[in-house]
Amino acid sequence: MSGALAFWIVIGGLAVGTFLIRSLPLWFYGRARGPEWLERLLRHVPAAALTALIVPGVLYTKVDGAYSPAPERVLAGLAALLVAVRTRNVIATLATGMVVLWVAQAAAGLLGG
Amino acid sequence: MHHPTVRSMLAGARAVSPIILGIIPFGLVAGASVIAAGFGLAEAIAMSLLVNAGASQIAAAALFSEGAPLLVVIGTALVINARMFIYATSIAPVIVPHAGRWRWILGHPLVDQSYAVTMLHGRYRDDVRVVPYYVGSWLVLALTWQLSNIAGALGGALVPASWSLDFAVPLVFLAMLMPALKFRADVEAAVATGVAAAVLVPLLPMQTGLIVAIVIGMAWGALRHHEHPEPEVGA
Repeated sequence: MSGALAFWIVIGGLAVGTFLIRSLPLWFYGRARGPEWLERLLRHVPAAALTALIVPGVLYTKVDGAYSPAPERVLAGLAALLVAVRTRNVIATLATGMVVLWVAQAAAGLLGG
Repeated sequence: MHHPTVRSMLAGARAVSPIILGIIPFGLVAGASVIAAGFGLAEAIAMSLLVNAGASQIAAAALFSEGAPLLVVIGTALVINARMFIYATSIAPVIVPHAGRWRWILGHPLVDQSYAVTMLHGRYRDDVRVVPYYVGSWLVLALTWQLSNIAGALGGALVPASWSLDFAVPLVFLAMLMPALKFRADVEAAVATGVAAAVLVPLLPMQTGLIVAIVIGMAWGALRHHEHPEPEVGA
């Protein structure tokens, strides 16, 4: 299977999947209720999913499939975390993290690290 | 002056205008991530239009480019989008009674920001109709989302790898995480997921560590939530 076809399968699968996720509760409203344990489990999806997307990208760099620790990224991630907690602002968080990363990478380069 | 439906749509559009600035960097990253995965403008446009979910789009493009199996790509991206199920459950009593024959498609305009303005403002206004207000807010968001995706797809390819622009992805998610940490159990779910992801993602094959970490965090949160129902953080 070609890469392009595979990617269109992903787009199609996600299009149908996300439409169902958004629509099912509207379609079944007033007709049926999901089980309570499912609702309790889903309540923590936002916190869990976003954290899972953050942590590996902040701790590691990935070269040819191998993960190695990335202290510059950890430093930049902590600075961005501080700004995110304080401001809850996407642009301020993004700018802080990127600038600290660039400075840390430049400093590591100068030190021959 | 205008027809009530048009007036309500404009009111919804106006309500989200101050927050569209926040989705532009996210859209740029989402568009660039499709290009970084080796695809073109058509894929970026189709994905942002049809999938209509930024975090899922970025995660799917990244996992795909790392060679994860299609089921892992789609499964992980859908789990990330599962918060929309919670939003839909909570917005249903507000819009379904007024939805009429549009009920079947009114799930599509549901995104973080259209949910927020409709639930926090639109439904309390007696001068607007809630369904067109909700759709109007989404139209502005969708237009902004689409244009910033296109800009990201066109511009992302020009940025040299030494700028480490891939780091923008966890940073955008970091900013999105803060409003999701409403209760103590959310914070605990996040910490459990973070520890699990740090250990499991490098260990488990084909990016399956991500989905396992999410499930561990969800389960931990649900367990803790059961013991201490809804204590507020910092309240």
